[in-house]
Amino acid sequence: MTGLLADKVAIVTGAGQGVGEGIARALADAAAAVVIAARRAENGEPAAAALRERGHEASFVRCDVTIEADVAAAIEHTIDTHGQLDIVVHNAVSPPGPPGPVQAVDPDVITAQIATSTTASYLFARAAHPHLAANGGTMILLTSPAGMEGSGNLPVYATVKGAQRGLLKSLAREWGPDGIRVNAIAPVAWTPAMTTATQANPTLQARLEARTPLGRIGDPETDIGPVAVFLASDMARHMTGQTMAVDGGRYLGL
Amino acid sequence: MARRALIVGTGVADRIAAGLPGWEIERTPGAESLDLVVWADYPAAACTPRRLTDLSLAEWDEACDRPLRAVIDLARETHEALAANSGTFVVLVPLMASAGGAEYTALASLGEGIRLLAKSLAKTWGADGITAHSITLDPHAFLAARDAAGIAADNALHDPPLGRVPDDTDDIAPIIEWLASGTAAPLVGSSLVVDGGLWMPG
Repeated sequence: MTGLLADKVAIVTGAGQGVGEGIARALADAAAAVVIAARRAENGEPAAAALRERGHEASFVRCDVTIEADVAAAIEHTIDTHGQLDIVVHNAVSPPGPPGPVQAVDPDVITAQIATSTTASYLFARAAHPHLAANGGTMILLTSPAGMEGSGNLPVYATVKGAQRGLLKSLAREWGPDGIRVNAIAPVAWTPAMTTATQANPTLQARLEARTPLGRIGDPETDIGPVAVFLASDMARHMTGQTMAVDGGRYLGL
Repeated sequence: MARRALIVGTGVADRIAAGLPGWEIERTPGAESLDLVVWADYPAAACTPRRLTDLSLAEWDEACDRPLRAVIDLARETHEALAANSGTFVVLVPLMASAGGAEYTALASLGEGIRLLAKSLAKTWGADGITAHSITLDPHAFLAARDAAGIAADNALHDPPLGRVPDDTDDIAPIIEWLASGTAAPLVGSSLVVDGGLWMPG
């Protein structure tokens, strides 16, 4: 995929670690200039520096995706620093809290989940629209298989991830005439949350892998990242409103 | 003794309530026991066509985030009452949630979110004897007639096979009543599309 995204500029939220960082690396390897948007500089700065060390154009912007002014500033940083915006990847998500039924979920977790998923998706879409429309750009939302099949253990997470799918389909219809494509990726991958969960439950990894046709949990950079590159590229120019499950076949029935 | 239902919302919710004549209908939470909860409290802000870029953050909050939170809180609040009667939780969803609808991004986000909430509730509430479902309805159930007709004209690939869209009171309410019956007990976490065959998605 070398050079596939040459002359393109991307911003990736939650890119200081996990799937976001993996996607940022893949986009940069495909020659896109990449803005690492992250809430914490201690994650975001090193992630951007690592891309520059690999010879890529990259920068960091501190951004709490739930704050309107932060989102506007992140888009402004992208234009001021890199000259344009072609690709928005909204990946940031707040921790889903401990597993349990909806009546046991901490109210603050509910607030944070809605803010980072639906509110932030709206904020980035609204702020990025004029730039994406100018360049025939694309927006990619990171949802989850839970947003398609539901989740007994993480019911609020499943709810907000489903809400993102409702948003992307309608946005795809609304923005198609503007030349903007909107798609989603539903990954099962090694995120910090997955690492924490498998460390807390020693049998979880083996059970997940046993139920996954490809027999392993995805790598953010080499398994999830290339799908983001594809969706952002002209190879996917006739795709919009779609959710690609990148899960090793774990959720074939969705 | 009459079975007790909590019906939340106006418009389509009122029409559903009218189709459950043998039921004791509550319109606000608080009952100690419930056989049925139906949520269809879509705010006018969500049911009015607006481009996303024309929505302020406050308007987005009113149209999507706040009602999304309200449904989650309703589920939390009614769990115990539903468990007392092995009840049923049903959300009504506009078809744009799964099929997309330009100028209805907030409505679609809200609708698809609560459809997934119903699935998620079903997974854990089954152990408490509670079932949960969503019913996807034609846009006419939620929008002004002119707006709904516009969506159908833009997107439907054929005329309604039945020659009409279902009536909320006469057609949809009996399906909800069936979902709340023992006969439907093996049906768990279902996403029914009841639109007279206009869209046939999926």
